[in-house]
Amino acid sequence: MVKVLVACRAGVGSSLMLKIKLNEVIAEHKWNMEVIHSSLDELSSFDGPIVVTLSDVADELKEEGVKKEIVGIRNLLDKKEIYTKVAKALQDIGVN
Amino acid sequence: MIEKIITEPLIQLKVKATDWRDAIQKAGSVLVEDGDVTPNYVDEIIRSAEKFGPYFVIAPHVALAHAPRQAGANTLAMGITTLDPPIDFHNEANDPVRYVFTLSAPDADSHLKAMQEFVRLLSMDGFYDVLDRATSGQEIMAYIESTVSTNRSDCNG
Repeated sequence: MVKVLVACRAGVGSSLMLKIKLNEVIAEHKWNMEVIHSSLDELSSFDGPIVVTLSDVADELKEEGVKKEIVGIRNLLDKKEIYTKVAKALQDIGVN
Repeated sequence: MIEKIITEPLIQLKVKATDWRDAIQKAGSVLVEDGDVTPNYVDEIIRSAEKFGPYFVIAPHVALAHAPRQAGANTLAMGITTLDPPIDFHNEANDPVRYVFTLSAPDADSHLKAMQEFVRLLSMDGFYDVLDRATSGQEIMAYIESTVSTNRSDCNG
């Protein structure tokens, strides 16, 4: 089971939508993943390997040097984009 | 559920705005008038975007304007504002913005069901056609209600 944090600034809007779409992708591809949803404040206490967020937030986290696999999504309605990028993240951490 | 959160008084069509700040102010104004959010909530959306960039432009032409609930989200509500002409929000991937959905969510999880229906709406091409063509909020509400009830009966088999 791979833990994924879906986060946005407020933790009530975009991250929730992203979580809904990510869960659809996970179900379609039968990935063994646990999705946790929160605001960025909880990033420091998150112990999983992957963080999924909108692309501008992702760029910022990368600049800050956050030691996680950071996935930035431009269009959170686009399941193809979500699938491609999360699949690559799974590959990079050695799963799948 | 979503049809209880988006209500007709919160829908504004073909709004003219001078820039993205003006667009957010105008989009938020109906929620302020309705008592769903405080004026500070709308200001906070703008302040956050100034600080962090247009983080709420979530898909091509779509902005989900929202801020942390502590900024002044009183009741669960969502406004729809269409912009004509569309406005640049400085989000290269998804500009220009035509549709601003202003969300007020007083707690983190109670709106999960509504957001699921909202995501489903946003994933339907027909929704944007209706947003573009509608001349009244009533037409948009009728579309939302029919879509939601169709999906529910599908789910029930």
